[in-house]
Amino acid sequence: MCRYFLILFSVLSIGLVHAQEKFTVNGYVRDAKSGEELLGVTVYVKEKNTGVITNDYGFYSLTLDQGEYTFSFSFIGYETFDQKVLLGQNETININLSEESLELNEVVVTAERPDQNVVDLQMSKNEINIAQVKKLPALFGEPDIIKTIQMMPGVISAGEGTSSFFVRGGSADQNLILIDEAPVYDPSHLFGLFSVFNSDVIKSTELFKGGTPAQYGGRLSSVLDVRTKDGNNQEFRGDAGIGSLASSIMLEGPIKKDKSSFIFSARRSYVDVFLRAANQDNLVYFYDINAKVNWRISDKDRIFLALYTGRDDFDFGLDFGFDWGNRTATLRWNHLFNDRLFSNTTFVANRFDYGLASSSEANAFNWDSNLRELSFKEDLNYYISPALTLDFGYHLTYRKFAPGVIEPGPESILKRAELQNERALDHAIYLSIKHQITDKLTLDYGGRLSYFQNVGDYTLYTYADPQDNVNPIRLDSTQYGNFENIVDYLNFEPRFNARYLLNGDASLKFSYQRMVQNTHLISSGTVPVPFNTWAPSSTFLKPQKADQWALGYFKNFKNNMYELSLEAYYKDIQNVTDFADNASIFFNRDLSTEFRQGVSEAYGAEVMIQKNRGPLTGFVSYTWSRVDRTVDGVNQGRTFFANYDRRNTFNVVATYEHSAKWTFGGSFTFGTGRPITIPSGSYEYGENYIPDIITERNGYRLPAYHRMDLSATLVPQKVRKNPNIETSWVFGLYNLYSRKNPFTLFTTIQIDDDGNIIGDGTIKEARMIYLFPILPSITYNIKF
Amino acid sequence: MMKAFHYLLVVCFLCICSCEEVVTIDTGDLEERVIIEGQVINAPDQSFIKLTKSRDFYADGPADRITNAEVQIRIDESEVVSFLHNPENDPLMEGYYLPIGDFIGQIGSSYELQVTVEGVVYEAVEEMLPVTSIDSLTTKFNEDEFEEPDEEGRFFEVLLNAYEPQDRKDQYLFKFYRNDTLVQNFPTDVYVIDDLILSDRIDDLTIAGFYAIGESAEVEMYSLTPEAFVFYSDLANLLNGDGGMFSPPPANPRNNLSNGALGYFQVSALATEQIIVFDPRQD
Repeated sequence: MCRYFLILFSVLSIGLVHAQEKFTVNGYVRDAKSGEELLGVTVYVKEKNTGVITNDYGFYSLTLDQGEYTFSFSFIGYETFDQKVLLGQNETININLSEESLELNEVVVTAERPDQNVVDLQMSKNEINIAQVKKLPALFGEPDIIKTIQMMPGVISAGEGTSSFFVRGGSADQNLILIDEAPVYDPSHLFGLFSVFNSDVIKSTELFKGGTPAQYGGRLSSVLDVRTKDGNNQEFRGDAGIGSLASSIMLEGPIKKDKSSFIFSARRSYVDVFLRAANQDNLVYFYDINAKVNWRISDKDRIFLALYTGRDDFDFGLDFGFDWGNRTATLRWNHLFNDRLFSNTTFVANRFDYGLASSSEANAFNWDSNLRELSFKEDLNYYISPALTLDFGYHLTYRKFAPGVIEPGPESILKRAELQNERALDHAIYLSIKHQITDKLTLDYGGRLSYFQNVGDYTLYTYADPQDNVNPIRLDSTQYGNFENIVDYLNFEPRFNARYLLNGDASLKFSYQRMVQNTHLISSGTVPVPFNTWAPSSTFLKPQKADQWALGYFKNFKNNMYELSLEAYYKDIQNVTDFADNASIFFNRDLSTEFRQGVSEAYGAEVMIQKNRGPLTGFVSYTWSRVDRTVDGVNQGRTFFANYDRRNTFNVVATYEHSAKWTFGGSFTFGTGRPITIPSGSYEYGENYIPDIITERNGYRLPAYHRMDLSATLVPQKVRKNPNIETSWVFGLYNLYSRKNPFTLFTTIQIDDDGNIIGDGTIKEARMIYLFPILPSITYNIKF
Repeated sequence: MMKAFHYLLVVCFLCICSCEEVVTIDTGDLEERVIIEGQVINAPDQSFIKLTKSRDFYADGPADRITNAEVQIRIDESEVVSFLHNPENDPLMEGYYLPIGDFIGQIGSSYELQVTVEGVVYEAVEEMLPVTSIDSLTTKFNEDEFEEPDEEGRFFEVLLNAYEPQDRKDQYLFKFYRNDTLVQNFPTDVYVIDDLILSDRIDDLTIAGFYAIGESAEVEMYSLTPEAFVFYSDLANLLNGDGGMFSPPPANPRNNLSNGALGYFQVSALATEQIIVFDPRQD
């Protein structure tokens, strides 16, 4: 392993040998209006036919020979800015980009070089344009990036009303979901009707489905990197929205102009009202609070503190209630060691917890479960030359899993019970080398070395049969002290990306990645619920590993007006975590006896055509995909389709700016029905039970899913007295043609609409659940 | 009991926003399976083996009975008791096999079932574990039910009190009867509990249903082996699942029968208690 790194370093040094009379230009690229740093901006040096992309903090650095250059700064949605540079010394050039105006869009016909879709080394990545998301139709008018993500090529949803997404044959827990670098363990509100991401504060959203940068690790299938705004450092402003389901407010502004700013945002639902449950003692709500401050101490140092807390609370009268929530804190320090070495040091603390409580005398209890995490990350970007950039770093994460404690109430028949806590340490070092080999060929090679430790204190039991989940017999136990190593796993995760420019605004890209996952979701349903717990890799649970190969062809048409992406992938997962048939995953002391690990194979092809400019913007995506699993002890060891296997999915998302006053949005989604397990017969047991006979897991398919939504955004004429205030109305129609889309299917004894048994109770029937018919929504927004 | 909460969550979610519709599914062809429902109890005239055939999902009426099987039980690996099909030729007892002679299960004994149907042998072994006794049943007036009774006059709860021995691992199955008729809050309810989370006093545990003054309420409490508890839990999951969306995918309950037979051979000690329901406010 060490040898591999040595070779990499010797490759690098080749780039260093030629250093002579070179100077460095660096700086930040910002939004002219808000002062927010822009990430992913292309900084192109026309004379050298080369360039870099601003990093996650808007920073770029270019080291070039003495001379005269034209730097071209371009970014989707912004006017391209050309800057002449006479390079004779090291310089800092900060650039402010202005948003592209609608009129400009249509007249620009100058020949441009192909944009990032073609040129960028990164493939299998989707960016979600938050401004567009806000103009799209949404369930109850609540804009939600997850719902747009579910329409991206290679991404599958389990059905409407869920916040889970499934990337290239991976399950929902194989997505690393980050908000300001802090992982979110459950992104759902109201069991998935909405996600925890409040669109008011989102600055950028990137989804990596493959070719994942070595900086990321820990989950097999994707990384969803959501970054929030830093806060306008030019002027104080705000947004407020009143929707049919939730209302929100966002305030941002400078604490000290150009130096320091803040942003604060809060959102709360009034589902309680919506459910018309308010006339009872029932209480159902969720909220989100995001807060962030940043301070530019000097040109070289900057500090950010970002906080997020969100919670769902359900109370059913006095008898029963539950809640769940995420809390994250990110402290970040950007530091420039020198003109070419950018450092980001991050501390992350987060906590996910849920609770169930009942106060009904004999059954009264309080159940608490939580997962806590502390991380330290040091990430470095070293800009050796425009042709050679190094990203490397070290990550350390400590996780403590507290799967559950039951505290009985005073009159309760229950006694206190607690499941053992588990602890884990995750270390990783990574190195990624972006290397422009020729004008046409650029490579990114490197990898991530992850070292995982499951540590004490813990009592580890050995079992007569570790997979006997009926009557598990504990043979022996070993006691481990604080931070004593119980078991460890070392894994090397190679990452490789290549891009070759073809003639005619096109490129070919290839990527290979290995991902390793040491944190496993304990869930046997299709869609995780917030009451699922997580568990670390352990003696009984091996790390999950996925290798993925992807090949893509990218071409732009009409001066980047249209972007075409074609990709095919093959993914092979080892030790995919599954659970025995009938697994009991709630409060099970011998949970390890339910673990079953096997293999999963996924492959597919994706097409996407995206239009980013002009009054009409949006994308069309089509995915053909297949994923199955083979796991000993599940479905009698026979291969079965994964729960989220959909053969064909097709999505269209579009917004049309008709005038300054009206913008229209529309989306259409189609997906092959997902597989489901249905009975092949039934039998009699006991006085009145008619259980089903199950012969095959996921052997049946639900009907296809399709839906069309429409929206219209109205921006009335500005009020003359207050030109700074902008208001808008968003009208939405969800499920335009009121399609009864299948959510799930279950069987029951034949009952009438009131739930009374029909006949002698021996006749069974299958019932399909479908969620939303046509639903209108109105949201009122005000910006000041 | 914890599982019940899981269902509740799912139900809450689905009630919020769903509609239901009956659909016809293509269940394919089923290879016929033998269903064994056996029980050995430590009380007279309670032990039987019932044999039926699996039925089509859309079948109507009772399942076909198996009447030509050979059934026997070996006790503690020695004495063999034969079970005869419907010895009294009672049409209601088609498919039931009853022991020859006086047969009463003994706590601590092991029972080995052997059923031969058309030359195929199905076997199961189960041990009889002790059951704690029920101390008492009491009644409680329920205000809400009094105001809006589901059934006329029935607004009393019946509460159960028992001692739970903490020095051994117990699992229990409950059945409740009102005037000798089985009572369930919902037809797919299975009342089982594992003592893992139980304290030494089971006090004021509400049984299923509401009762009227003068009605008899009876509780049967069966001991279960861990395997039997697993069977009944799995059965409850299967009967109450949501098709695998939030709940686990449906699967056949794990049982103690060999050769792919479905059902269970249950061996239980039984404790019963009965009261005639009275109004506790008039004490």
